[in-house]
Amino acid sequence: MLEFDGLHKSFGDVRVLEGVGFSVAPGSMFGFCGSNGAGKTTTMRIAMGLVRADAGEVRWQGRPLDQATRRRVGYMPEERGLYPKMKVGEQVAYFARLHGLDAAAAARASEDWVERLGLGERRSDPLEKLSLGNQQRVQLAAALVSRPEVLILDEPFSGLDPVGVDSLADALLAQVREGVPVVFSSHQLDLVERLCDSVGILARGRMVATGTVDELRRREAGRLLRVVVPDAAPRWADGLPGTRVVSEQAGDTLLELAPDADDQSVLSAALRTGRVTHFAWQQPTLVELFRGAVAAPSTQEVAA
Amino acid sequence: MTAPTNAGPSSASLVRLVAARELSTRIRDKGFIISSVVILLVIVGAMVFQVLAASGDDETRVGLVGGDASVTAALQAQGEALDVDVTVVEFDDGSAARTAVDEEDVEGALLAGADPELLVRESAGSTLEAVVQGAVGQLAIADQLSAAGITELDVPEVAVTALDEDAAADAQRIVTAIFGVVILYSLLILFGQFIAQGVVEEKSSRVVELLLATMRPWQLLAGKILGLGLLALGQIVAIGVVAVAAALAFDVVDVPGDLISTVAVVIAWFVLGYAWYAAVFAVAASLVSRQEDLATVLMPTSMVLVVAFFIGIQAASDPGGVLARVTSYIPGLSPLVMPVRQAAGEVALWEIALAVVLMVLAIVLVVRLGGRIYSGALLRTGGKIKMREALAAERT
Repeated sequence: MLEFDGLHKSFGDVRVLEGVGFSVAPGSMFGFCGSNGAGKTTTMRIAMGLVRADAGEVRWQGRPLDQATRRRVGYMPEERGLYPKMKVGEQVAYFARLHGLDAAAAARASEDWVERLGLGERRSDPLEKLSLGNQQRVQLAAALVSRPEVLILDEPFSGLDPVGVDSLADALLAQVREGVPVVFSSHQLDLVERLCDSVGILARGRMVATGTVDELRRREAGRLLRVVVPDAAPRWADGLPGTRVVSEQAGDTLLELAPDADDQSVLSAALRTGRVTHFAWQQPTLVELFRGAVAAPSTQEVAA
Repeated sequence: MTAPTNAGPSSASLVRLVAARELSTRIRDKGFIISSVVILLVIVGAMVFQVLAASGDDETRVGLVGGDASVTAALQAQGEALDVDVTVVEFDDGSAARTAVDEEDVEGALLAGADPELLVRESAGSTLEAVVQGAVGQLAIADQLSAAGITELDVPEVAVTALDEDAAADAQRIVTAIFGVVILYSLLILFGQFIAQGVVEEKSSRVVELLLATMRPWQLLAGKILGLGLLALGQIVAIGVVAVAAALAFDVVDVPGDLISTVAVVIAWFVLGYAWYAAVFAVAASLVSRQEDLATVLMPTSMVLVVAFFIGIQAASDPGGVLARVTSYIPGLSPLVMPVRQAAGEVALWEIALAVVLMVLAIVLVVRLGGRIYSGALLRTGGKIKMREALAAERT
């Protein structure tokens, strides 16, 4: 189990993290979402020892991550970084050696990964000669080459074309199948929804929601009701007990119901306006969950 | 999982890995190769120039018509006095000599006799004329003296006594030391730049974040300084060996022992100077994120190096002076001043020991304090970081 536990961090007066915690099971993928400046990168940097937490710790297999165990973690920083003038193959081998492989094993692993990521012919080119997409692949190779036990990737999909996204997704899923816990942050929520077993949403330095996408949906389901009443007068739903109008456009109405509100009374009110062409609970997408979680402060924070 | 279960590489092996990367990257760098070759060529070239300039072994072929062996002997003796190799070629008659002069087989031809005449193609070179005039004049004086009955002339020989027998050797050592200071200065600047560029490259390419996920800042710093240091040491030793070999081969020096000891002193001071300047350059470079900003932060240290260089040169002419004496203890300046004083031989053992101890203390200080600044500054990008901020931001 990879556990982030009660992380606190302030830079001067700015409190960036206020008790961030979540855990990732081996062989599962964790999507880390949050708006810009929410503290995702800081959380990951704490895990990698690049930033010191004011409180809290990150544990792998029950032991706090330290200099030695971090070598078994594959890391891709948000700001991509490799030596621009170093040859691709040598570069990947160098990072393998820094992670503890001996010279021969590092050379083999480097060759293997460079080949696997489709860069075999570019092995002897300096990194700066490669396209950005290919540089990103080298970055991934540098993170994977030491056969890490844990993967922590900061925005790995940013800047990739759709084909690149697919091949990176495949590579990560392959790691998950081998039992590696993978944590990655992303703004591309559709990707997170598609790939991740569980999701964490970070807002204002706190985890406002964690769980599987389905769990989050269930938690939010039964709250939003979509009613389409083409013949209704505008503002037909105003004042219905226990409801709030989220949006209304030409009779297409989205209502938020309080837990004790009666959906059937909403239906009869709708019928009174004329035809009802649609009446159903809304399945929130991750984007909507994200907006809800990030927008509304404190009132709906969900315990992890 | 097949991941390695050991605790990962030790400090020493991490430092070694970083050092090996620095070394292999730089040794394949075209700029480095070219500069190394140029330095060696300049040294050998300087030696060759010295040999050519010092030798002054002029040569001249003089034709001779008539006259006996005494004329030939007089010409050669005069040549020796004027440091000219004179070859005398005898001709049977004037026309043969004329042809030889015309064909530039000889520089000139002397028609000996009561009215001696010198045949030349266009004009007589001053050396040729002096040789011939001197020889003819001497013969005439000798003839007239013997005609006057004086056969033995007692000319006293001037005895030369050197007041300072070591002066020549001293001068040679000082020249070697100046030469050493120039090389030392060039290499310190060159490798200081290499270190600084390397640090900024890692910051600007952000690779430093990936590196620091596997090692501590001091391991990275130590690896860089050691790796390039080995290369620099290799280069200065190569320069020393080539210079000594060339000096011996071309016979530029008389006392090889002194030369070798001076070269050894320069190399030893280079090691101390390099450790200090490399650390200062690396720490300064860690404060900026772009190569363009590098010149500004390196400026103060570069200035110190330039000042040290000029004091070192000045010390050569006045090794016992107050300036040289004082600066030879000051860390940072001492590596470029003390070797000159040591070469001049006007320095006590305790003075050398004091300078070395102060320098080593300065290195320890820079590595400890600088290491903290380096740690604090490495992960901060954008603009120039103040040293105080870097110290405050130090993470571990």
